[in-house]
Amino acid sequence: MFSQSFLQLNTIFISILIEAVPFVLIGVFIAGFIQMFITEEMLAKVIPKNRCLAVLSAAFIGALFPACECGIVPIVRRLILKGVPLHAGIAFMLTGPVINPVVLFSTYLAFGSQWDMPFYRGGLSFIVAVLVGLIISRQFKGNQLIAKGAVRNHCDASGKQTFMKKFAGMLRHAADEFFSVGKYLIIGAFVAAAMQTYVKTSTLLEIGQTEAASHLVMMGLAFVLSLCSEADAFIASSFRSTFSTGSLVAFLVFGPMVDIKNVLMMLDAFKKRFILYLVAYIAIFVFIGSLLI
Amino acid sequence: MFRIYILLLFTYFFFHLHASGNIAKYINMKYAYLSYSAIFIFALLTIVQVYDYFKGGGEAAGEPCCDHDHSDEKDKPFYQRWFFYGVFAFPLAAGLFFPIATLDSTIVKSKGFSFKPIEQIEAADHYAQTQYLKPDTSVYYGKEGYDELMEKELSKYISKEHIALRDDQFLKGMETIYHFPGDFLGKVIEFDGFAFRGESPDQRQLFVLRFGVIHCVADSGAFGMLAEFPEETKLQDDDWIHVKGTLSSMYYQPFKATIPVLRVKEWHAIDKPKEPYVYRGY
Repeated sequence: MFSQSFLQLNTIFISILIEAVPFVLIGVFIAGFIQMFITEEMLAKVIPKNRCLAVLSAAFIGALFPACECGIVPIVRRLILKGVPLHAGIAFMLTGPVINPVVLFSTYLAFGSQWDMPFYRGGLSFIVAVLVGLIISRQFKGNQLIAKGAVRNHCDASGKQTFMKKFAGMLRHAADEFFSVGKYLIIGAFVAAAMQTYVKTSTLLEIGQTEAASHLVMMGLAFVLSLCSEADAFIASSFRSTFSTGSLVAFLVFGPMVDIKNVLMMLDAFKKRFILYLVAYIAIFVFIGSLLI
Repeated sequence: MFRIYILLLFTYFFFHLHASGNIAKYINMKYAYLSYSAIFIFALLTIVQVYDYFKGGGEAAGEPCCDHDHSDEKDKPFYQRWFFYGVFAFPLAAGLFFPIATLDSTIVKSKGFSFKPIEQIEAADHYAQTQYLKPDTSVYYGKEGYDELMEKELSKYISKEHIALRDDQFLKGMETIYHFPGDFLGKVIEFDGFAFRGESPDQRQLFVLRFGVIHCVADSGAFGMLAEFPEETKLQDDDWIHVKGTLSSMYYQPFKATIPVLRVKEWHAIDKPKEPYVYRGY
C-alpha cells in the first residue's frame, strides 16, 4: 500500500513523537501550574523593572529551569500572558532548553567527560539569550502574542479559589495547552522525519567545507533534525571528527533555540514578524559567537 | 468530544506500545520510563476532559473559568477544523495501524553516507568517521579513559579464538574489533545482521549490518562489517543472515582503503530478529 521509504519515514516520525511527547506533557503541566498558581504580583516582585536586569535575571532563571525545547514555548506564552515582559520571557525561553542540568550533563558525557563543551554550550547560549533579549526590549513594544493569546484571562490565580479548584483548573489548562501546541509538534516531527528520510546528509556535509560554511551547515542540520536538546549532544559528538568545535557549538546552541518543531510551536504563540526577527537575531549571534570559539 | 477521543487514543497508544513491546522498535529502552509516565499523564488528562464534558453538559459550555482556547477549533471554518482533527488523528492512525518499518538498506542508502568516511580513516586521521559501519564511542570517553575501556574490552576477547557476538555485545564488540583489527586477525567471529550490497562490483562481497539506536530510531546509524563469501550468493539487500568466518583485512576499492573483512566459512539465512536493532547501553 505504501512504499517502504514512506513507512520508514512514518516510523521515524512516530519515534520522534514518542520521544518528545513526555516532555511536552511536562511543559503543558507547568504552563497549567503557572496559570493557576502563580499570580501576576508574584512575578512582578521577582522580575526587575530595569530592562537589562530583567533580561539577565530571566536568562538566569531559565538556566536553572529544566525544560526541553518542546515544552518551553507554552510555558513562555503563559508567562507573558501573566505579564512577564516580552524580553524577559524570550531570554528565559532561550536559556531554558539549553542550560539545564540534564542537557549539560548529557553534553558532558557525549564529549568525553570533559567540561569544555558544556561550558561553551552554556556560555554561548547565555550570551545569545541576553543579547537577543536586550535587542527585543528596544525593538518591540507590547507582548507580540497573537490575538487569541492576548485575550486577558478573567479567571486565574486570584487567590479566592480553593486548592482543589485550582488544581482542576491546572489540569484543564494543561489539556488545552496540549492541543494548542500538539498540532505543531506533530507537523514539525513529520517534516523532520521526512527530511531525515529524503535529504541526503552527505549533501549537507559536502557544503560545509570552509569554516564559515561549516557553521551554517551545522546550524541548518540542527534546524532540520529537530532533535531533543537532551539527545542532540550525542549526535553532535558523532560529527566531532568532521567538524570544528566551533561549528558543533553552533549546532548545540542553535538547535534547542530554533528548530522545525519549536518554530511551528512559536507560530501558535507569537506574531510572524516577531518570530522572523527573533530567529534572525539568534542565527546571527550564534553564528558570530561560534566563529569566535 | 473530539478531544476526549484523541486523549483516550493517545493514552491507549502509549499503553499499547508498552504492552505489546513495540516501543523497542522506536526507542532505546533505557529511556522507556519517559513514555511510560506519559500513559498516566494522558489518562489523567482524559479523565479531566470526560469529567468536564459530562458535568458541563457539553463541550466545556458551562465552565465558569473559561479560557480562550476551549472552543478554539470550533470557531474556525470547517476546513481548518478538519485539518486540526486530521493532524491529531494522523499519528494515532499511523502509529496504531501502519506496519512498523524496520530501518534497513533503504535508509542506509537515503541517508547517503555510503560508508564514505571510512576511506579517510587511513588517509588522514583527523578526518575520521561519522557513526557508520564502525561504532565509535571514543567521543564518550576521554582519550585515556577510552583506551582503558578498549583494553578492557580487548582482554575479554583476546584469549578466545572464537567470538560469537550476541546482540547486546554487538556495538561494543564491533568497536573493539575495529579498534584493534590486528589482534583479531585469524579469529573466528560470528554475528547476525542484514545484507547490504553497497558499491562493491564483486558479487561475493556484501556488508552485514545492524542499526544501532542511541535514543530513538531517528538518531540511529548502521554498524557492521564487510563479508566475503566463498562463492557468489543470491542474497538481496535486507536479507537477514547469520555469518561465521575468520577475520582478515583487504583493500576495498569503493572506499579506497584497507578495512577488516570477514571471510565467511559458514552462513545461513535467518528470520528477521524480534529486535532488529542493537542498543547503546553505555
